[in-house]
Amino acid sequence: MVWQDDHRRAKGVLGRLFSGVDWGLLLIVSLIGGVGIINLYSAAVAVGKPYHITQSIAMLLGLTGAFALSRFDRRLYQKWAYVLYGAVIVLLMIVMGWGKILNGSRRWIDLGVFLLQPSELLKLGVILITGRYFLDREPSENGYTLRELWKLFALVGLGVFFVLKQPDLGTSLTILAIFMTMVLFEGVRLSSLIGLATTIVLSLPFVWTFGLEDYQKGRVMTFLNTEEGQHDQAWQVRQSIIAFGSGRLIGKGYLEGTQIQKGFVPEHENDFAAATWAEEHGFLGMLLLLSLYMALIVWSLRISANAQDRFGRHIGVGMAAFFFWHVLVNIGMVTGSLPVVGLPLPLMSYGRSNLMTVLLGVALLLNTSKRVKS
Amino acid sequence: MSKSDFLLVSAAFSGGGGGPENDSKNGDRYRRRYLGLIAIAFFAFFLLASRLWYLQVLQGEKYWRASTENIIRDIEIKPARGRVFDRHEVILADNRPSYDVYLVPSIFNKRINTPSKSLERLTEILNLTSDEIAQIDKLRNRKVAELVVRRDVTRAQVAELEASSLQVPGVEVRANAHRYYPMHSVGAHVLGFLGEIHGDELTETERYGYGQGDYVGRMGLEASFEDILRGSPGLDRVVVNAKGEVQGEAETRFLIGEYQHVSPVAGRDLVLTLDTELMLIIDEAMRDRTAGAVVALDPRDGSVLALYSKPSFNPNSWTGRLSRQEKRRNDSDPYKPMLDKTVNSYFPGSVFKIVGSLAAMGEGLMLPEDEAYCPGYYRFGGRRFRCWKYAGHGHTDVVEALAGSCDVYYYKVAEQMGIDKVAEYAWKFGFGEQTGIGINNESAGRVPTKEWHRKHGPDGYQYGFALNTIIGQGDTLTSPLQVALAYAAIANGGDLYYPRLIDEVRTRQGKTLFEFESRRRKHIDMAPEHLEAIRRGLWAVVNEDKGTANAVKLKDVEVAGKTGTAQVHKIGQVRIANRDKDFRLRDHAWFASYAPADNPELVIVVFLQHGGHGGSDAAPVAMEIYDKYFSRDTSRPLTSRVSELAAHRALREQQQRREDLEKDKAVLPPDDESDASPDMDDVSEDEQMTERGQ
Repeated sequence: MVWQDDHRRAKGVLGRLFSGVDWGLLLIVSLIGGVGIINLYSAAVAVGKPYHITQSIAMLLGLTGAFALSRFDRRLYQKWAYVLYGAVIVLLMIVMGWGKILNGSRRWIDLGVFLLQPSELLKLGVILITGRYFLDREPSENGYTLRELWKLFALVGLGVFFVLKQPDLGTSLTILAIFMTMVLFEGVRLSSLIGLATTIVLSLPFVWTFGLEDYQKGRVMTFLNTEEGQHDQAWQVRQSIIAFGSGRLIGKGYLEGTQIQKGFVPEHENDFAAATWAEEHGFLGMLLLLSLYMALIVWSLRISANAQDRFGRHIGVGMAAFFFWHVLVNIGMVTGSLPVVGLPLPLMSYGRSNLMTVLLGVALLLNTSKRVKS
Repeated sequence: MSKSDFLLVSAAFSGGGGGPENDSKNGDRYRRRYLGLIAIAFFAFFLLASRLWYLQVLQGEKYWRASTENIIRDIEIKPARGRVFDRHEVILADNRPSYDVYLVPSIFNKRINTPSKSLERLTEILNLTSDEIAQIDKLRNRKVAELVVRRDVTRAQVAELEASSLQVPGVEVRANAHRYYPMHSVGAHVLGFLGEIHGDELTETERYGYGQGDYVGRMGLEASFEDILRGSPGLDRVVVNAKGEVQGEAETRFLIGEYQHVSPVAGRDLVLTLDTELMLIIDEAMRDRTAGAVVALDPRDGSVLALYSKPSFNPNSWTGRLSRQEKRRNDSDPYKPMLDKTVNSYFPGSVFKIVGSLAAMGEGLMLPEDEAYCPGYYRFGGRRFRCWKYAGHGHTDVVEALAGSCDVYYYKVAEQMGIDKVAEYAWKFGFGEQTGIGINNESAGRVPTKEWHRKHGPDGYQYGFALNTIIGQGDTLTSPLQVALAYAAIANGGDLYYPRLIDEVRTRQGKTLFEFESRRRKHIDMAPEHLEAIRRGLWAVVNEDKGTANAVKLKDVEVAGKTGTAQVHKIGQVRIANRDKDFRLRDHAWFASYAPADNPELVIVVFLQHGGHGGSDAAPVAMEIYDKYFSRDTSRPLTSRVSELAAHRALREQQQRREDLEKDKAVLPPDDESDASPDMDDVSEDEQMTERGQ
């Protein structure tokens, strides 16, 4: 029965490799990624740079890597969560000292192949340590108290501080939003919640005065009066809005968006990728895209709900919050509903750091959805 | 979501993973939270979708238009301005190509390299003055589509601009038509010149399609016939990208369809009745005269053959960039170069005596053969009105009165009929009314009456005014054009014409659109023997020994005319600047005439402002004109005759300019250094050019 043994062994290897793979999640991620690459081809044609090729390669490598990472025992991430977070903090410190400066802020480490943006990794780091923190401490009857959470707040606050100082307001706020979503999901005692809210409100003037750079204030001010602003920022948003609106119901047609193809929307491959998509595919195209994102969020929550342990549950919620906040803020920003804070649209925006982060997050989700014998 | 779906979703999020804490109470709690999260996400995405619905569906059309406007740029194509020809198709106003530099602020201001650096580079290439830079800086921050940086730049500058186009984004060179007057200052007052539209004018004329940097007629025909000469602009509709770069034709056609080009319609050409050759002859005949005017008409139909006013100006420099020095010279010139003296009015002096002659006979006070006695003065109301000839003319009839320009004859007539009758006859000849030439705000002149004196005179009306009026003094004012038309009426037997300056209006392709007929204003009612007497008198002025212009009688042409020497000296009435006093107090010299005397085909009125004596100063000028005009060599082609005269004129002008320069240096304080040097450069360049030309 040598043949049978071989067969069983072979099936065993493949079987183990593909056992418990969440094909649904992979399908949704691939669909959005595919839309992103199709869209980036249009963005690439506009300026004659091969965004779509780079992004395709990164996507393939990233998905493969994510798949590989998801094969490890998830308790590994659980175990090393604080160490990984510490590593990210170290990277942020490196950025602060020797980071590469682009457009007036110091955010990147030049790796030669691409620019690594550690603040992106911090998003995952926060999700990991929050999951770990909640795993270690059972909440009391009516939810966590601030006393129970202050260490976590301090840890997250440290990371956010570094990002804010780069300066990068958008990423900082997003990290906080993801974090707060996770915290509130687990539940915080009402009195603590009120205390927290009061502290935040009272600290706002100080943040405005001491925490924000002038250009960040400018962005907020610009947002408050978009139409008359003569700022470049306002111009950019104005052009983005025109791109959206001019797409009308079904769009101008693939590769035929004049706003994008004639260079009226800066960063049309990056933060403003949605404008590219909206102009060429219209309201229906945007509905499709939003539906895909909604599916991704719901799927992440489903993974969370079906997770085998509390760590997995929080990873799921954290990633759902990650997608939710990115999509909400990015679309809100490019349609002129929110200030321009420089936040990418997951799987649509060109940018390897961001793509890597998203796919690492997908790896965590895949990992979570894989059932293991306890 | 239906109820069963809801249950399904509920089940999916019940936390069925079977984690350690997965008891039913916890399960319920978490299920509610998951559903809450999903509800929040749905709500948030619903808000996003609403925003998208608003932008893309409700406001879609508006933004679609906005995106179309983004890529469309309408480039106005200036029409060629209509040309002006003389009666023999000699071109008087033409267009030549000029390279003009434009700046498009929307591109210039939005650029990686700072606009201020671009401006520096532009300054370097074009040698912009600080005024120009300030103007550019001011305008480029306004909402103008484009602005003119500099007109008529050199080819070298064009090349340099093209080479450094990356450093000066949004700066374009376009070839436009620039007005050119080949005859320079000859006929400048009739033709006029162009000026760039500016400031208040722009807001006023915007609705007629004028824009920043457009030229409009400022004087003469250019101003009066602006609407006809102007033409209508065309349009080039192109597709541009965000940097303003014009996209390919195929792309343009794809994006905005076919109607991308509207050809401009060139302005209509004017064909004048003027005779350039005659104008050049006049210019030469006037070479030694400082100021004055010459009008030449065809008495048979009222066609204007020449309108000449001196000193003149060069419309080419007024249309382009006028150097400060030239502007100052014009402004400070006491002879007023910008004033069209053919339609401005002056004391006519004795050329006015045709009015008195006809009045005397027409009113029956004098028969043609009746005589008056002139002892050299006329006694009236205890005063002596002097005749210009101290010794007197003795017994004179109307012919002799005209020939010798006897004042006493007319004093006597005037005393009998009074000032209002004189005015009545003056009006018959068209004095005191505009002639209808339609350019340069012509003066109506003045024919004083009792009423006028009562209204305007410092001491009201006095009877003696009639005596001054009838000899063309007192308060009588006429323009050289009016005098010419009046003498044309004598020459043609009594028809007073409207001056006919335009022969026809036609398209650039040469199709006649409108022909101007000769129009008779009125027929002056006079008995044939009275007309005959006047014509004999005018003939005698030149052709009889006693005539005031007998000394300059021509051999080949029989001229009839009347001299006039108008005193302008009125003590205490005119305030005179000391520097001008001598000149301003000199008499005006007139000679109004027609030839040939028996079959007149040309009327010439020479007016020399403060030019001295009619007989010895004005008449010789007229005689030289007649002589040259009637003896022109018609066997040679017109073009060669005209170009020969033009060359003579250019030489004279060159000489004149040198003298002016010397004068400038002597009289004017030195310029502030900033603009002194470029002006001097200009001058030396000109001189070099003529030297090469010689």
